[in-house]
Amino acid sequence: MRRFRVFAMRLQSLFRTRAADAELDAEIQFHLEQQIEENLARGMTRQDARRAALRAIGGITQIKEECRDMRGINWLETLANDVRYAIRVLLKSPGFTTVAVLTLALGVGANTAIFSVINAVLLSPLPYADPDRLVMVKEVVPLIAASPIHVSAPDISQIRKLNHVFEAVGGICLWTYELSGISEPQRVIADRTSSDVFKVLGVQPLLGRAFTDAEEPIGHHVVILSYRLWQQRFGGDRGVLERTVDLDRIPYTIIGVMPRNFVFPLPGMSQGPAADIWVPLALTKEELSQIGDNFNYAVFARLKPKTAITQANADLQTVAKSILRTYGEWAEANHQSLGNFDLGLVAQPLNQQVRGPVAAMLWMLFGAVGFVLLIACVNVANLVLARAAGRQREIALRLALGAGRLRLLRQLLVEGMVLAFAGGLLGMFAAIWIKQGLAAMIPPRVPLFREINLDGHVLLFTFLLTALTGFVFGLLPALSASRADLNHTLKEGARGASEGHAQQRLRAAFVVAEIALSVVLLVGAGLLVRSFERVLNTNPGFRPEHVLTTSIDLPVEQYRGRFASFFQQLLERVQQSPGVISAGASTDLPLQGGWTHIFTLEGRPPASGTGANVCFHSVIYGNYLQTMSIPLLRGRYFNEHDTHDSTGVLIVSQSFAEKYWPRQDALGKRLKWGTQNSDSAWLTVVGVAGDVKQGPLDRATVPHTYQPYAQLGAFSSLNLAVRGAGDAENLASTVRHAVWSLDRQLALPPMETMEQVIDDSTLARRFNLFLLASFAGLALLLAAIGIYGVLAYSVLRRSHEIGVRMALGARGGDVVRLVLGQSLRLTAIGAVCGVAGALSLTRFLEGLLFEVRGADPATFTAVLFLLIAVALAASYLPARRATRVAPSAALRHE
Amino acid sequence: MAKSADLVQGTLDLLILKTISLEPKHGWAIAKRIQQVSNEILQVQQGSLYPALHRLEHQGWIKAHWSESGTGRKAKFYSLTKSGRAQLEKELASWQRLSSGVNLVLEEA
Repeated sequence: MRRFRVFAMRLQSLFRTRAADAELDAEIQFHLEQQIEENLARGMTRQDARRAALRAIGGITQIKEECRDMRGINWLETLANDVRYAIRVLLKSPGFTTVAVLTLALGVGANTAIFSVINAVLLSPLPYADPDRLVMVKEVVPLIAASPIHVSAPDISQIRKLNHVFEAVGGICLWTYELSGISEPQRVIADRTSSDVFKVLGVQPLLGRAFTDAEEPIGHHVVILSYRLWQQRFGGDRGVLERTVDLDRIPYTIIGVMPRNFVFPLPGMSQGPAADIWVPLALTKEELSQIGDNFNYAVFARLKPKTAITQANADLQTVAKSILRTYGEWAEANHQSLGNFDLGLVAQPLNQQVRGPVAAMLWMLFGAVGFVLLIACVNVANLVLARAAGRQREIALRLALGAGRLRLLRQLLVEGMVLAFAGGLLGMFAAIWIKQGLAAMIPPRVPLFREINLDGHVLLFTFLLTALTGFVFGLLPALSASRADLNHTLKEGARGASEGHAQQRLRAAFVVAEIALSVVLLVGAGLLVRSFERVLNTNPGFRPEHVLTTSIDLPVEQYRGRFASFFQQLLERVQQSPGVISAGASTDLPLQGGWTHIFTLEGRPPASGTGANVCFHSVIYGNYLQTMSIPLLRGRYFNEHDTHDSTGVLIVSQSFAEKYWPRQDALGKRLKWGTQNSDSAWLTVVGVAGDVKQGPLDRATVPHTYQPYAQLGAFSSLNLAVRGAGDAENLASTVRHAVWSLDRQLALPPMETMEQVIDDSTLARRFNLFLLASFAGLALLLAAIGIYGVLAYSVLRRSHEIGVRMALGARGGDVVRLVLGQSLRLTAIGAVCGVAGALSLTRFLEGLLFEVRGADPATFTAVLFLLIAVALAASYLPARRATRVAPSAALRHE
Repeated sequence: MAKSADLVQGTLDLLILKTISLEPKHGWAIAKRIQQVSNEILQVQQGSLYPALHRLEHQGWIKAHWSESGTGRKAKFYSLTKSGRAQLEKELASWQRLSSGVNLVLEEA
């Protein structure tokens, strides 16, 4: 009851301050009158009675103030008052307030946007049930690769059978299909998926059902659609179940539609993008016979409850031994030996698989954008401090009149908070805008499985961040201002606004900190710019101009036995089209990776203990090398005489020749695919071609071989490359026309020029670069504003001194030197701190650098020059103003 | 001007509570009453009386209403609340303990 009354009263007093004051007046007045009456009764005159009564009661205002304080122990009320006061004060200096709020809005907005990306990519649970128990099972084959690779098809069922730690194990294999039978044919990304995968992931279809175990063997033509494809191609029609579509022109029955948030596989899980459709894995006899080969099946498993990953790995070791034993038996039965082939198995948490590759990059960006906010805070703190100096008299006066320091401190802090929250609110809107831009730029290797939005987590983050910033830049100036020395200030104040030495030092320290932080960001951005420049200047080994590419995938069943003739006809037609200079095809395009093959050189068995020889291998058709302008250094191109019946021939890359036949003629040398015991035919080198970046531009060149399509035949899909005389994009209709003149139904994916392919390969790099450079630019701008602010204020404060100097004969140049000297001193100290910081922080960037060291002298020099230029530019106006100080006016100011 | 230098800290609250425990009184009457009953020994300064009243009201020990005074003018009357009465009992007890303790020391020493 009491508590309620107290609360009700506080609320009342919050809204009825005026009424309460009137009541208080009446009460005191009543008392006064009683006293007067008593005095009159004692025989005083009315005037005396009144005077005596007033004397007796003492300071009426003080009593009232104290009464107000008694009921005003109401933090709500004071807070409301402080906020109201703060808003009024801030509105009185719109210039300051605008700059401060905008600065904060930029800082908070950029941070919120980056955090919303981190929240969506790194902090949200993966869109599968209980994702912490999900792992990927990988094989470790030292002969082929140093790091774990995907699994060989026959091993999937072995892992499933032999393990004791998984609830379910399933595998997928990336595939593409021509989807037709509904409007325009289209190529779709498919995953051949074992029925267990859906059990592993614990996700139920939105409509229909998942695959049954019975559908695992070949021959069950059923398909599950992704939500996106269902929406795009079927308009979200719920009657889609049991309808049929054609995949590579074979009818499949739609049995299910997955939920909207089911994105699978994510980057890091398999080589491909998220699937549009899922079909049963249905491993063929051929696939199941590829013992110890074709490690291309991504395997997923769900740990049994309360099973640690270490337990799983221990169990997998015994599983691997058993599998290796079956390999041995198989080799023996086929009169082969395993040689030094070894096999291990390892389970890796799915979370780490998906997020590991991008986490470092995103946290680095988060750190960088945090720096920007820090600089924004320092800048605003500086502004607040400068203003506090101007308000020193007001503050000192209020202190002298009896305002409590704590009260004053709180009020300055509230001012900071009001600024911060105005900035934060504006920043939120900025974040909505920024994150839309970000979302469009996010490179495809970032696992984005949900929308980037400002959800509860992000809002909470922004709120805390805003409160923290308000606290940081509100408290320091508040502390410094409320500690003001009364006497000093009031005396000095008489001579115009001034600030103590402590504050000057604090403000200088702020500017130094800003400069140092900017240097760190600038160096980071500079290093990325230099790396990017190096990447772009890397010779890709081909000439991308005027080349258009597209991939052609033939429906396997319909074209069986006719692949070669189709591609031959197609190349002929394209080649004859007007505007086409040359055309060719290859299994892999540069920069997009490719298949690695194991090979054995004739007469040179690999030394035991070393890995097998591995190279990239492409099968090419027509004038592929000529079309790409990959130079032929020695020997000859493939020609029409290289057929199925002639000797197997090979073109090797320059680095291949130099690595395996140093100081020898590579022409005429022989090698075969597989290990020493393989029974594949010997191939003779007939040419040496220039090196091509088959992987990303910033990776080392890998030895590469080319083989003619005519000698292998059976590829149903090839990448077409066409070089034209003019703009590459104009070739698109030519290619489309040629393809459709052969098969009107064939689905063509979007075509890309080789220049676009290069652009795509640097997407992630450009994303990082763009963001870091924006942050650095923002930081530099804020630092420049900071320098300007400090100098402008310092000139104002020292105008008397400057006036005296000029009166004593100092020239404009001397005054300018005075101001610039101060600016350069601050800049120098900040630069030294910044360089030290940058040197210790660039290691976080190392993974993103290319052919540039973290301590790159050119970058550091450029940053320092830029910094000095900006510092001088920021000092220009204050310096000019200083020279305009009229000595007489400055002295009169005294 | 020293505030209630003649009143031990905290005793003013007790005196106010006690004074209005029988019937509601306004500020003036409370001061007068304390003066009279204490044979003019205790002088209540207005500078401490009104803040004390407001504090007590704010704490919920006493409540106020406007009513006509004996002279026919509107005055603010204070009366004990239920919890104020309990508070009075508590403070009385502790005062008695304190003063008897002080007396003991003074008599013995």
